Amino acid sequence: MCGVSGILHKNPDTSGSLPLVGDQLIRMLEPITHRGRDSSGVTIVGERTEGDLLVRIWASDARESAAVLARAEDTVRRAGGVVCSGAQTGQFLRLEVNYEGETAELAAALLDTPGVALHSIGHTSEVIKDVGVPSAMEQRHGVGAIRGTHGIGHVRMATESRVDVNHAQPFWAYPFPDVSVVHNGQLTNYHKLRRMYESRGHHFQTGNDSELIAAYLADKLAQGEGLDAALRASLDDLDGTFTYLVATRDGLGYAKDQWSAKPLVTMETADVIAIASEEIALRGILSPDMAGQEIDRVEPQKSEVMTWLL
Amino acid sequence: MNSQLKGLAAPGSEITVRNPNARHNLAVGIFENCSIRFEGSVGYYAASLLDGPEVVIEGNAGWAVGDNLMSGKITVAKDAGASAGSTMRGGQLVIGGDAGARAGISMKGGTLIIGGNAGFLTGFMMQKGRIIICGDAGEALGDSMYEGAIYVAGTIASLGADATTEEMSEDELIDILSLLESQGITGQRTFTKVVSAKRLYHYDSLERLEKSAL
Repeated sequence: MCGVSGILHKNPDTSGSLPLVGDQLIRMLEPITHRGRDSSGVTIVGERTEGDLLVRIWASDARESAAVLARAEDTVRRAGGVVCSGAQTGQFLRLEVNYEGETAELAAALLDTPGVALHSIGHTSEVIKDVGVPSAMEQRHGVGAIRGTHGIGHVRMATESRVDVNHAQPFWAYPFPDVSVVHNGQLTNYHKLRRMYESRGHHFQTGNDSELIAAYLADKLAQGEGLDAALRASLDDLDGTFTYLVATRDGLGYAKDQWSAKPLVTMETADVIAIASEEIALRGILSPDMAGQEIDRVEPQKSEVMTWLL
Repeated sequence: MNSQLKGLAAPGSEITVRNPNARHNLAVGIFENCSIRFEGSVGYYAASLLDGPEVVIEGNAGWAVGDNLMSGKITVAKDAGASAGSTMRGGQLVIGGDAGARAGISMKGGTLIIGGNAGFLTGFMMQKGRIIICGDAGEALGDSMYEGAIYVAGTIASLGADATTEEMSEDELIDILSLLESQGITGQRTFTKVVSAKRLYHYDSLERLEKSAL
């Protein structure tokens, strides 16, 4: 079991301050920690940054993290990037980079750097994930203060693979900037599809079956398919149970399997699209004066896909 | 909250819960003939394992509302999530709006009324009782059902494995219409009745106890 949530602000104030998407995602994840407590994570999209790219890196070995993170910065520079700012939190490194080359080349160079796990590369987005519950992640990474236009979040109860920071979700759709997924379910054709994508040169960083969805969407996007078409195709191509959400630079979407096996509810107001595993999560973002009131939520059925664009 | 509800539950007592905030497992395992009203939406497994109470939910319900209902009545004003009335054995569960997937899964008695549309696999493996759907039914209706009956006023996307339609008697129709009228649901005049075709019945080998009885 896992929990997912997503939010998109339809009319963000592009000249003023953006909504506190990080805080909203945490408030949507906290009420569903009964769905999973071992790890949590968010993707926040639409951040205002100094550089062309936001890069999130994790050093798997705590004793060598300083050296690994220095190597990663060095890799960025050697690939032609200019680091505008860097922030280190424990084993995590967040870089704002000016870079004019292909993202795939920078990503490949970072993955070839010993000890580096690459959590995301985005123009306006970053994947922040950690072990523990959302409130712990919020405290450690200051997620609540991050502003953006939309995002997705996840609480994990590990079933098929190990518990560590890398195996937490969201998963970035390497090498596509700003595309990431969160998934609730189990994929039964994971090994078959993984072998296929590996033979095409895709690099998997974990043994988590949910990472496959990120690879799947990356493959579809690389073939020039639109997000909606890619999600629809996944209903046939992915086997098993799934409800997954995807965030892109300018959109949000979900896909729900043919068995209707994993829950999802959605809510739409004049300004906001909110989607989550349970209604109690949607209620997490209601303003205090709305707390006792009813909301119009919709429960998608089977084989359903929906996408929203900013 | 559940221990408080259990403490208040006594024959004839009337309990109101304000702002339930879609929380889970509310009003579970109550065996008194009391009435409980939720002023808002409830989460998963609301009003489950009940034997006697009358429960009114004025908002939506999450997954598996009325799970294993023995007797009494549950009314949900708006929509219900998946698996409403799962394994219910008696009593009445009335969903005013739509029901998600697998409503009435493995039900073994009682009556499940869905005022709106019913989702995928409604009545999956039902063994007894009846489901009345006032709107449309989703795919695989009555899949692998053993006994019982499903009545649909609207369209049926598809029947499940071993489910078939059957003519219904006038007495049955009158019974259903009067039952719906008592819930304030009017307008439906005709229904399609779905039952098990029993082609999947293969009881040619006897259970141990059945053998010893021969």
